[in-house]
Amino acid sequence: MSSQAIFVLGLWNWTSPAWLAAGVASFLYLRSHRGRLTGMRPLLFAASLVAFLLATVSPIARLSNGYLFSVHMVHHILLLLVAPGLLLLSLDFEVVKGALQKSPVLSRVSAFCGKPLVGWAMGIGAMGFWHLPALCSASQEIPAVYHLQTLSLLFMGVAFWWPVSAAREQRLHPLQGVAYLFASCVACSLIGIYLTFSPVNVCPSFAHAADPLGLQGWIRNDLGITPQIDQQIGGLLMWVPACLIYMSGVFVLFHQWYTGSATAGLRTGEAAAHVASK
Amino acid sequence: MSSATTLSPSDSPAHDDHGHGGYRSLRFDWMASVDHKQIGVMYMVGALVFLVVAGVEALLMRVQLALPNNHFVSPLTFNQLFTMHGTSMVFLVGMPVLSGFQNYFVPLMVGARDVAFPRLNALAFWMFPLGGIMLNFSFLTGAAPEVGWFSYAPLSEKAFTSTLGPDYYTLGLLALGIGSVGSSFNIICTVLKLRAPGMSIQRIPLFAWMSFITSILTILALPALNAGLVMLTADRMLGADFFKASGGGDPIFWQHVFWVFGHPEVYILILPAFGMVSEVIPVFSRRPITGHGFIMVSSVAIALLGFGVWAHHMFVAGLGIWADAFFSVGTMLIAIPTGVKMFNWTSTMWRGRIKFSTAMLFCLGFLIVFACGGVSGVMLAVTPFDWAVSDSYFIIAHFHYVLIGGTVFGLFAGAYYWFPKITGRMLDEKLGRIHFWSTLVGFNMTFFVQHFLGLMGMPRRIYTYPDLPGWGELNLISTIGAFAMAIGTLPFVYNIIISNFRGKIAGDNPWNGWTLEWATTSPPPHHNFDLVPPIHGPRPLWDLAHPDDMDAKREPSPDEPPIKLHLNKVLMIFFISSEAMFFTMLISAYILFNHNPPDGPNATNALNIPRTWFFSICLFASSWTMHKAEHFLRAGNDRKFQGWLAATIVLGLTFVGGQGYEYAELFNEGINLGRNVFGSTFFTLTGFHGIHVFVGIVALAIFWGLGKCGENLKTVNRMESFEALGWYWHFVDVVWVLLFLMIYHPLGWITRLF
Repeated sequence: MSSQAIFVLGLWNWTSPAWLAAGVASFLYLRSHRGRLTGMRPLLFAASLVAFLLATVSPIARLSNGYLFSVHMVHHILLLLVAPGLLLLSLDFEVVKGALQKSPVLSRVSAFCGKPLVGWAMGIGAMGFWHLPALCSASQEIPAVYHLQTLSLLFMGVAFWWPVSAAREQRLHPLQGVAYLFASCVACSLIGIYLTFSPVNVCPSFAHAADPLGLQGWIRNDLGITPQIDQQIGGLLMWVPACLIYMSGVFVLFHQWYTGSATAGLRTGEAAAHVASK
Repeated sequence: MSSATTLSPSDSPAHDDHGHGGYRSLRFDWMASVDHKQIGVMYMVGALVFLVVAGVEALLMRVQLALPNNHFVSPLTFNQLFTMHGTSMVFLVGMPVLSGFQNYFVPLMVGARDVAFPRLNALAFWMFPLGGIMLNFSFLTGAAPEVGWFSYAPLSEKAFTSTLGPDYYTLGLLALGIGSVGSSFNIICTVLKLRAPGMSIQRIPLFAWMSFITSILTILALPALNAGLVMLTADRMLGADFFKASGGGDPIFWQHVFWVFGHPEVYILILPAFGMVSEVIPVFSRRPITGHGFIMVSSVAIALLGFGVWAHHMFVAGLGIWADAFFSVGTMLIAIPTGVKMFNWTSTMWRGRIKFSTAMLFCLGFLIVFACGGVSGVMLAVTPFDWAVSDSYFIIAHFHYVLIGGTVFGLFAGAYYWFPKITGRMLDEKLGRIHFWSTLVGFNMTFFVQHFLGLMGMPRRIYTYPDLPGWGELNLISTIGAFAMAIGTLPFVYNIIISNFRGKIAGDNPWNGWTLEWATTSPPPHHNFDLVPPIHGPRPLWDLAHPDDMDAKREPSPDEPPIKLHLNKVLMIFFISSEAMFFTMLISAYILFNHNPPDGPNATNALNIPRTWFFSICLFASSWTMHKAEHFLRAGNDRKFQGWLAATIVLGLTFVGGQGYEYAELFNEGINLGRNVFGSTFFTLTGFHGIHVFVGIVALAIFWGLGKCGENLKTVNRMESFEALGWYWHFVDVVWVLLFLMIYHPLGWITRLF
């Protein structure tokens, strides 16, 4: 492994407030789910935390800021699709219901985000919105905008997954959920295709970034990733793996529908285990 | 709507006890038929005719290639032969025969009286002979299509192929494409809305399920091809520049458009065959299929993933190594759900009491041959390997292993299985065995050696080859195999004809099958069922015969309430999805070619934005007036309904008139489809949108006219139809919002005002 690669792997941000956020989230989760940490739930929550930390404090976070558009796309996918999706799967319905009953604000937000059009627009809009050239560059150059982006991606990710993973009364019928996720996959693919083949530089700041870590030469010359190739990889990431995440959701919903467990309240983790046992 | 448990027999005078004019006479009532069974049979017979034509084309090619340096046919004829062979086998044999089986058996399997829209079904069917005859008529003009079944640009452009061949190709395929989409709407709506009571979607037989998924694929994939054909026709006939690099277009774009359709097309051809095999294997193994749910869900996986991997057909087109890498992985992923199905089928046979009937033999042949095709498919997913063998005989071998080993073997299994139901007589098993063994041996002789020819470097589509070591021998083996396969098909054709007259009487359920088609007479009466048995699981006849050992006890499947949405609205949802796909392709073309405004006239210098604002507001307002019209129709206020409907029509006409005025002005300035790539994309995109608006206006005018004539529009059917039409109208409006924002940049214009 080259010395630069080793250097990059060591780029963890140990002083980021994200650690604190992760700690608080873990505390709240463990407290609210006392006695309910059964099955896949704790694992799903841990996976969600890992996705969040990878996106915020790991070398991915560092490279996504000003170096590589493609890594920036990984950062987006982790924050928008992976972390919120896993988080919602790790929650217990009863706990969520209790929380919603206690807090009228939360309940209103949940009802609002439960509207499929709203959730869909947020999930897909987040992908499109943050890739408008001006905003994409602003998020790279102004730290406050970067943090705002991180928060908004997380929030919109939760809003996006909510209509297909909320408690039964608020959730879409599994087949409607399939259409919801398939439509997301199509939309995401279209944006991805655009990024992949577009001759336009979508995020100009990556092409002309300052190079505080002195990595540009390594990236451009040793790895051979020019800004154009970088954008192409970013587009492909949005097109193929992001779509596969939606598709995984489709399969889980289909399975729930087939076994009728959507109405019996079987959760995804158990459904997955059920599949495995078959 | 759906079959009640008891159905009254039809009193149609045109039909005898068995519901048809009899298969022994070709009477006029077949041509005028809207019965799903007769249409199904006509599809199958038509496909058989074209199978003979396309098969002869294949044999002629094999004769030409039997020896090195052979001159049996000319290079041009050879080009026409392979083009027409491929095109016919996909569009005139594969798709129609599958449509035939779907038409015949899906309504029977779900316990319906007919398909959802019988007249649409007849229209869709008659597009098939229209397209088929148009394509083959080209031979008589001496200009059969000659540029390959995927008609790659720029070779298919006028500059390089000045004959009428590609025009026959585009127009013939457009007719066929429209027919396939129409037929698929019917299958979708039949499965969703006409199931017998108790048959939740989870319980529909696997063939019906695969047909349903295939139909969804068809309505989403065919519009992509149709859009491509429209663009190619515009290039060839109207001088447009879509695929001409010289005019600012891009030949690679054709490849994308074609394979967006072309890859799902592979699944359109293979999934119904999966369905047939999934019906036949359990019946002849006397065991329920293993993993019914897995097969259902994984076919959805295959279908959806199938849309995302088209670029693996373009590994050598120069998309870049990263794109190749992603699509390579995607392609390997899709092999997983397909591969696991093999285990579903083999484990169904495990410990079963297997009866080796001809249908079952074809299933076993399917398992072995298709597995080989699947494995070579995974090999081709590895990009560097694909680079090495692309456009060689390895590819020919691969896709024939998939399409013959998969689709054709599955179809033969289905044919032997269901022939008794269609005709009331059994096919002869002895002839069937001869058919199976000669097909299996002939097929492998023909195509197995082609793997090696490909690896040795023999390119596809060459009309002859030099006498290189091994090439002559392998090609000769391949040709002998092709003749063995062709001769082996003769007993099958003979069997069909002879058994139709003199075959053993089948009875209602000769195979002891479990699905609903076996619960009625063979052939079924016009109305399909007198009595539909109670349905508690995927095998209603098993449950009926074994009340103590019902499937539901071992593996309960949920009762789902029927879908409440009216049939016409269900159709409209899928129609709109299909149209959306069509527009997506045209919009992609616009973005691709106008992202950097082309030289000459373009969106920034040729269009009148304020005027278009006015006409656009008219169109947007018409959505509101349409909504009002719907409201007053429901409220029963006829006068206001007529008024708001008339307003909608006037607003729509104003928009179309405005568009006509704009076109006239642009034409006067010399801006047309042939001027530059802006003209090509602009007129095609806005023109098709205008046609959609116009069609909507005609439909609205019909409602208005009916209302004026004092017809009662307040029946449930008509009100729901009107609302479905409203959905269409709103869809057309939404498309215009997109086009308006994308083409005219109206918001930018507003900011410039200040």
